[in-house]
Formats: sequence, C-alpha cells, structure tokens
Amino acid sequence: MSPELPFAYIRFDGERLSDDPHGPGRRLRIDARCVAGEGVQGAHAHVCALSNEDASLRYDEPEVQQARRDALDWWIPMLGDDLVCISTFALDESRCAGAVTVTTDPRRLDYDPFARLFPGTTVRADFFSRVPPPPGPVIERYSGAPWPAGSFGS
Amino acid sequence: MTDLLPGSRFPDLDLPDHTGRPRTLSEISGSDPIALLTSRGWWCPKEQRYMRELCRVQEEFEVAYAKIIVVSVDAPEVQSAFRAGLGARFTFLSDFERRWLEQLPLCEGTDTLHDPYRPAAFTLYPDLTINAAFNGYWFWGRATMEELRQEMRAITREIREDWEVPES
Repeated sequence: MSPELPFAYIRFDGERLSDDPHGPGRRLRIDARCVAGEGVQGAHAHVCALSNEDASLRYDEPEVQQARRDALDWWIPMLGDDLVCISTFALDESRCAGAVTVTTDPRRLDYDPFARLFPGTTVRADFFSRVPPPPGPVIERYSGAPWPAGSFGS
Repeated sequence: MTDLLPGSRFPDLDLPDHTGRPRTLSEISGSDPIALLTSRGWWCPKEQRYMRELCRVQEEFEVAYAKIIVVSVDAPEVQSAFRAGLGARFTFLSDFERRWLEQLPLCEGTDTLHDPYRPAAFTLYPDLTINAAFNGYWFWGRATMEELRQEMRAITREIREDWEVPES
C-alpha cells in the first residue's frame, strides 16, 4: 500500500478558488490537511498566486525562505485564533507558486508576507478545514510537499 | 515520577503552545529529532541569554529538519511576547498549570516564588527516546550550541537511511 500523499490539488483561475482538482484554472499542490476535514464556512482565503502557469519561484530562493520565516515568526501569531490554515503552493519538487492563508477575519490579510512573492487576492471559500499551524523553526520542505505539509515518513 | 535518562522515552507532553493551541511533542516532532529545553521563564537573565543563543542556532535547525521546543510555566501570552522580543521562530509550550511539572523530575525547587522548571535540555529521537540529557541548574551545565549540533548529527545519522549518500 502506498503512503498517503502529503498534498492535494486545488485550482485557481485568478479570481476563484476551487477544491475540484479537475475544475478550471491553474492546478496547485496544497497541504492535504487543509482540505481534508470539515470546511469552515465563510472563510476568507488570501491567495498569493497568479493564474499564469509560468508564475513560480524556486523554494530555495531567499525571498521564499524569508516569507516562511516571517510566517513562523509573526504572521501566524498575529492571526491568532482567526487562522484556519496556511499552505504554500507547490508545483513540483522544487517550484513554489505562492501560498494561501485562510482566516475567519480578513482585516489583517494586507500584512501577508507571501504577498511579497505574488500579489494577494482575497476570495471566500467554504472548503478549508482547520489545521494546526506549523511548529517552527523548520522552513525546509519534504520532497514534493507544499510547506508545511509532509514528513520523511509520508 | 518519570526517570529522564538516555534510552528512556520522554513523556509525550500535551500542552498549549505560545499561541494557546493544543500541541503534543510527537505532533511537533513529526519525523524529526528534537532539542527540548525546559526553562525557568522570561524573567530570568540566564534564560534570556540562553534563548538568544538558541535564536542564533535556529537558522541551522530550520534548514536541517530538526525542531527546537522550549517548555516553561509562563502563560502562552507571556511566551508569545518573549518569543517576539527574541525573534524566535521555534515553538514554546506553556505548562502554566504545572500539570506536567508535577509529574517530571524537573522542578527547580529552590525558587519558591516562581515555582519554575529547572533549566535542562534533552535531545530526542522522533519517537521521543532520549539520546542525551543536560542539567542546566548551573549555567555552565547547559547544552552548548555545539553540543546540540553534535546531538542532532548523531540522531540524524541514525534515523536517516540515506545519511550515506545512496549509490545512483
């Protein structure tokens, strides 16, 4: 039996986000836990990504690493209990297409450190489930998994 | 009372983190080794000095698939403020109710005002087996950053099957 994949697929067309892996828009890997449980109704998803298939950075680029450090340092603590889940978007073993931060209160989304990578778009979504935020300080990824998903056991 | 000796298993502490969310050691570990530090609290100048050292080494931990966890009796909101002031990106666990402190041989004892944890360090395998224990009651007894590096190397070498580069 093969181990469960640490990621699921969602779609983003620049304006709408869908948990239908065959829906319209760009296909992005997301931490599988974010779409595995009961959805939080009316949540606000801050999508820092573009629908353009070429829009990506390598996970090892300093700006991507720093955005993850900032997430662990102050972004997640700032959101507090409003945070529903957070995940970067992976395209493959090495490329990052941005990130999504899902909250119940959209007021602080302008501070999203991942918006330094790709511009943020706030959309309503009901399919994101609550996931404990990542414990620090690890910012490296497990092969192919969108940070903070995965482990060496998966 | 639990013995916390090398080779024994550290209890899977279930405590709120610095944001107040419930956590367990095993959840935080995932599949990674842990440097677990118990700390008197934010008020102690020795802790402030030592935590700054941990912040310096966190940049190595964050790229090396290993975790740093600090346990104290400070409330989550106090830990969160302390953490922010330090610039720490690792996890603090709050035993503000002293629920685990009463079960572990880690009470400072000589500080009846704060009733805190005694400074100590444990390096743990992902299954929470203790590889080494350090008694930091005296500052010089604490694990140095180089000792933590050596501990993480020893554990990682043992648990990562591809430590020796696989033949292509």
